[in-house]
Amino acid sequence: MSPNDPAGPAAPQVKALNCPSCGAALTLRSFGNAVSLVCSSCHSVLDATDPDLKVLQKFKAAEDEDSPLIPLGTRGSLRGTDYEVIGFQRRTIEVEGIHYSWHEYVLFNPAKGFRYLTEYDGHWNLFSILRSLPEDDSGASTVTYLGEVYRHFQTADATTTFVLGEFPWRVRMGESVTVSDYVSSPRVISKEGTGKEVTWSMGEYVTCGDLWKSFNLTNEPPVPVGVYENQPSPLSASVKSIWAMVGMFLIASLLLLVIVYVTARSESVFEQTYSFDAASHDEASFVTPVFALHGHTSDVELTTIASLNNSWIYVNYALINQDTGRAYDFGREVSYYSGRDSDGEWTEGSNTNIVTIPSIPPGNYYLRIEPESDPALGVILYTVSVKRDIPQLIFFGFGILAILIPALFITWRAMNFEHLRWAESDYGTPPDDGSLIGTLENLASNFKSSNSGDDE
Amino acid sequence: MILKGFLIYGLVVLALVSVAELRGWSLDRVDQVPNVPKTVRDNPGSYRSVYSSYHHYTGGK
Repeated sequence: MSPNDPAGPAAPQVKALNCPSCGAALTLRSFGNAVSLVCSSCHSVLDATDPDLKVLQKFKAAEDEDSPLIPLGTRGSLRGTDYEVIGFQRRTIEVEGIHYSWHEYVLFNPAKGFRYLTEYDGHWNLFSILRSLPEDDSGASTVTYLGEVYRHFQTADATTTFVLGEFPWRVRMGESVTVSDYVSSPRVISKEGTGKEVTWSMGEYVTCGDLWKSFNLTNEPPVPVGVYENQPSPLSASVKSIWAMVGMFLIASLLLLVIVYVTARSESVFEQTYSFDAASHDEASFVTPVFALHGHTSDVELTTIASLNNSWIYVNYALINQDTGRAYDFGREVSYYSGRDSDGEWTEGSNTNIVTIPSIPPGNYYLRIEPESDPALGVILYTVSVKRDIPQLIFFGFGILAILIPALFITWRAMNFEHLRWAESDYGTPPDDGSLIGTLENLASNFKSSNSGDDE
Repeated sequence: MILKGFLIYGLVVLALVSVAELRGWSLDRVDQVPNVPKTVRDNPGSYRSVYSSYHHYTGGK
């Protein structure tokens, strides 16, 4: 091959072999790196280190056996490195009598060596063997690797229940190893082995979409089911920052409240006491003297205080702008009742009624007042007072609620995600690792257990 | 993304609260009547209140 060859370097050729058991053609993709090779025709496990491909084991595969979602021989680029899928195995654990299986794909790159893709219920992880040992703190059920703490999730005995292709170890059907997973989302450290022979590997969660894109796959990717042990939560990382922002907004609201209370005019512009005799046949309506409302467009608070006991007065009001003729029409009832019955003393209503008229422009105004009541109630004294530009605390209440509700919802969603994640672990509940979500989850869990204890 | 969204949302809420306070918004129901004649000052009975036929509660417990 000359350096100027327009066709470029020749593609590496694979070595063609035949199965010693059934004679089917075999393909060895990892050259001299494979230790075991499985014939896809007769399911013989062959010794790839032996030039004669000695048969190590033969197994019978079911008719409806799982086929790899990423076919053997598929090439793709992961994290900037090209890999070829060369092996596939299924491993199964049994928990409380139920079998759970996941699939592992062996990936090979001549320069980088082997990587492993695992798939369980549509959740994928890219694994590589760790070069150094994590610090195993068995007392705390954690391991530490490169300063990051990984929490123990689950330990189970995994059995190899199907194999296909090439493997860089002596693979055996029915072989069992103890597997322990330690998680720190989106990573997981897996410890597997028997007795003294232990292998540590680290996996990182990969989304289906990214994987299918990397391998240019055209088939439909499996839809992820539930929450996986190291699946990154879309919300958990945001919860702390969200509450920091809530704190910031509450401080800002408080500052705003102070500013509003300091700058509001809260100006008393009119106050007068009137008497009303409903039995009188005279015209009940009258108008007040004109009073000025200063400043910018703002609210007007009108208070009606009546000396009542077991009686009522209803007052029709119209706040009329003398210059523009625009009227703000409203009616308010003031009623107060009290008494005693078999339950004791009771009262109902109030002698005071306050109404806030919104967004009144400055100008000269007067009130048209028309009281009504029961003629049998006699003369009722009532005082009408008008104040300009009064701060409305309720909007601050609405504002705080509007900020708290989404923050609480996001926290609940994040807690729910962690709850679903750890429900599949050996513990059932998230660890109290000092994080906001962990603390809240454990508080909720303790609250539930104390309540169930009370019920008993 | 969610943090940015929440930040914008919170700022909008604070802005709305500020506008509500500045403009004097209220939850109370008030009807606006344009062009009330100036004669109302001299003859208040000529004005017909929107709420004059309001059926109010006259009982107690």
